[in-house]
Amino acid sequence: MKRTIAALLIAAAALPLIAMGGSESGVETVTVWHSNSGKAGAAFDQIVEDFNATIGKEKGIEIEPVYQGLANDVLTKVKAAASADLSSLPDIAQMDATSCLDMMNADYLITIDELGFDTSILLPQAVEAFSSYKGLLGLPFSCSLLLAYYDKTLFDSLGLEPPRTLDELTGIAPLIGAKDSSGKVTRYAMAGVPTTYELGAFIGAQEGLSYFVDNENGHAGTPTEVLFGKEGTFRNFLEHWKKLADTGYLNSIGSGTTTEFAAGRTAIILASSSSLTRILADVSGRFEVGTAFVPMTDEDATGGVNIGGDALFCFSGSDAVKTVLGYLTSPDVQMMWAKETGYIAVNTGIYDDPDYIGFLKENPAYSKAVEEMHASNPKVVGIWLPSAYQIYYSFQSNVMDVAEGNKSIDQAVDDMVATVQDALDTYAAANID
Amino acid sequence: MLSRISRAAATIFLAAIIAFPLLYGISMSFFTNIDFTDTEAHFISSAPTLRNFMVALSNRHYPRFILNSFITASLSAILRTAVTVMAAFAFSHLRFRFRREILIMLLGTMFIPADAMLYPNYRTIAALGLLDTYAAIVLPSVFSASALILMLGSLLSLSSEYYEAARIDGASDHAYIMRILCPMMQSVVAALFLQAFIISFNSYLWPLLVTNRNSMRTVQVGITMLGFADGGEYGAEFAAITLIVLPFLVLLGIGKKHISGYLTSGVNR
Amino acid sequence: MSKRNLKAYAYLAPALLLAILFSYIPLAESIVSSFLRISQNGAVRGFAGLGNYAGLFRSEAFLRSVGHTIIFALLFLPLNTVLTIAAAAATRRKGKWTAVAEFIFISPMAVSLAAYAMIFKEMFRGRVSIISRILSTDIAWLESPGTAMLVLAMLGVFLDFGIDYILILSGFRSIERDVLDAAELDGAGSLRMLFSIELPMIRTIISATIFMAVKDALLISAPVMILTEGGPFRSTETVMYFYYLEAFKSGNRAVESTIATLSAAVSMLSMALIAIRRKHALKDI
Repeated sequence: MKRTIAALLIAAAALPLIAMGGSESGVETVTVWHSNSGKAGAAFDQIVEDFNATIGKEKGIEIEPVYQGLANDVLTKVKAAASADLSSLPDIAQMDATSCLDMMNADYLITIDELGFDTSILLPQAVEAFSSYKGLLGLPFSCSLLLAYYDKTLFDSLGLEPPRTLDELTGIAPLIGAKDSSGKVTRYAMAGVPTTYELGAFIGAQEGLSYFVDNENGHAGTPTEVLFGKEGTFRNFLEHWKKLADTGYLNSIGSGTTTEFAAGRTAIILASSSSLTRILADVSGRFEVGTAFVPMTDEDATGGVNIGGDALFCFSGSDAVKTVLGYLTSPDVQMMWAKETGYIAVNTGIYDDPDYIGFLKENPAYSKAVEEMHASNPKVVGIWLPSAYQIYYSFQSNVMDVAEGNKSIDQAVDDMVATVQDALDTYAAANID
Repeated sequence: MLSRISRAAATIFLAAIIAFPLLYGISMSFFTNIDFTDTEAHFISSAPTLRNFMVALSNRHYPRFILNSFITASLSAILRTAVTVMAAFAFSHLRFRFRREILIMLLGTMFIPADAMLYPNYRTIAALGLLDTYAAIVLPSVFSASALILMLGSLLSLSSEYYEAARIDGASDHAYIMRILCPMMQSVVAALFLQAFIISFNSYLWPLLVTNRNSMRTVQVGITMLGFADGGEYGAEFAAITLIVLPFLVLLGIGKKHISGYLTSGVNR
Repeated sequence: MSKRNLKAYAYLAPALLLAILFSYIPLAESIVSSFLRISQNGAVRGFAGLGNYAGLFRSEAFLRSVGHTIIFALLFLPLNTVLTIAAAAATRRKGKWTAVAEFIFISPMAVSLAAYAMIFKEMFRGRVSIISRILSTDIAWLESPGTAMLVLAMLGVFLDFGIDYILILSGFRSIERDVLDAAELDGAGSLRMLFSIELPMIRTIISATIFMAVKDALLISAPVMILTEGGPFRSTETVMYFYYLEAFKSGNRAVESTIATLSAAVSMLSMALIAIRRKHALKDI
């Protein structure tokens, strides 16, 4: 009996040991949690391999990349790790704007300013997107923004230009849409349900610049009050969106819009500029893909779109980490990253590079994104909210309910204000002194 | 006669439904990429190919994921069998104080839903410094109240003569368990082991939470994270699934009798 | 303390230790936390009284998740019960091919949740899915709320099917031959035998499987995570998935601890009710 117990105890004690695996000597490992899969994943792995074989080898640094799922899944992992055991945090985590509020209030984050990393060569719009009153939270790595993709072949055949505003879209919806003899819609004008990301443009651009919540969408401090309700910006958007929905040519689906677009069942979709390579691959030449600025909510909504994408958040301030950050934002890496994924390069050093200029020329769809970025107000920034994941789906269901006529605009605005305000209050009560 | 035909018809119909997802999953592992995005869904591949299996197997993490799953499932099965047999032995063969209270306490865990304890358990594992270890994946599910009930049920039906005879022969309890009890309860023990192995091998959420590195990930978490589909390699995803399901079908075919005997012994009681 | 006691305790120690560490301590922790205000990083910021509970029941997302869980259970339970009983009834008499059928019916046990969920995702994907082709429709199953829940319920059936089938089948087969012979002599037809004699005789097993199915239905979360991520439009966000989101994604300790406490309470209450009905359940052990 004693032997059984002893054996069990030894087994239990040995488990962690089995788990440790080999530990390298003399090489400093920099763990990077990331969210790049598919083509971007392969490109990222290549970037890492190159580093480990060259600079890394010289300086005794090895990057260990770990794919953790979508950007939001990385945040989930980071928060879980931090709440339980800080030593289980990675050195660097690649995350998007949804993580900013948590990172801004996290005492385990090392800001880029604290690292003393020189960001002067980086794209100012991308730096602005991750800047807070506590400094630059994460180093911009991949930069993207919302773009309208349209079936250029179809538009050309009708002699139409992509719509500038939602009302213009509503006007041409019956032309770019199509029905069969039984009256069933075979091609929608637009597919999708705007939520936090899209509303960042539809609400943020109103009157040149409108915030969702106070403290400049959370960048100047933890937000305390919802603004999109009392300023009427959400209502204004919903009114225009509802008109579009009432044409019958709006397909309110929450996912799979690129598949619908590629199959020719919708004329326009909104998607991240970083989806470009994926969309082109899905369409695979069935028609010409055009890109355009996101339609404005109304004539006064001139702010453009907010810059999204991912930044590298640091939980360790070692020189090795700095070296890795420098490498990942270097001209060569950014050039390769842009070409492989469609992200806008964040290193402005390559903007005069003939290679990059040539790339822009050959890819008008890509350069449209760059153009849209320059046309946008850099102060239109992403929304930093607590419970961002939940709020994302709240916006989505409320906009869908309005589009489908299940909810009045008043009700949807009230519900959203209540939901976001509640999330702000709960977050503040638990986390802010 | 008529009833036999209607039973056969019902069986075929239901079997078709139950078998379909698995067969379709296997079928998709031979699809070409175009088969997935075609304007009409395919039942079988337009040009059957083994390429997907090559892609899956050439993924640098996939073999490690499978290895991790086998290690953790084996550990889990071994530990659960040991812990369960030991506890069931004590309850069925020994007399001691607080027997009833301890039994109620152990069986009471059945009513504390593990799914609702994910977060505190995560913190416990982290506090023990066990994140990213096999122990983290295995430990919380080692003790199972329902396994204890089933094992205890079988042991209680055993005549006490064997134990008394063994003691008269001077055998220790340990020797009795290893040399007499387990061999006599062979099929129950085997079924307990097999069931624990399958449950552990197939678990998803917990291993996802407590592993942060590729080298520790299990294959169930892994197949949702291989990211083949994002790269347009839809078929490779299903090849990866097929490769992990097939061995289990074989195992299930072999162990079918044991498992059903074991599971039903508890409910009939 | 006698040596005899000590020996018994030594045999019980691993089980007890694990039960305390991974069931009782977390339960106690959840109960205590549910009355406190705790930050994301675990810092206690004050006493909350019943505030966390009040907040939970004010939350539209939580209330909706309760509704979704009930809808899921209402779809899943009848589907699961009818299909497993039908399969077991159809194969309850051994014949030439029953071994093959039995193997098919227990085969879902060999397929993991993640694997089934990913296959289902593809089977019902978009408008040109294989299921739509078989049924000749163009329903985008996973993109509208009602049908997505139905697909989730179907997935749930597959996850439980193998084990429920085995249990019910063995119930059928444990019925004494004499009983069936006597009924046959009375001229009872096959269907009548099934419904008026055999099913009532195995009602204990059936209620046991339904009980397990209820538990699975109320606790469903991982299948949601892989198949729908709570979508479309949060229509498949169940209570336990909501718990996962709030605990791990939002870092909302108030919601995490109150849901944990409440679900343990519900689980124990329902157990107590059953235990009162069958008081002697523990006696013969």
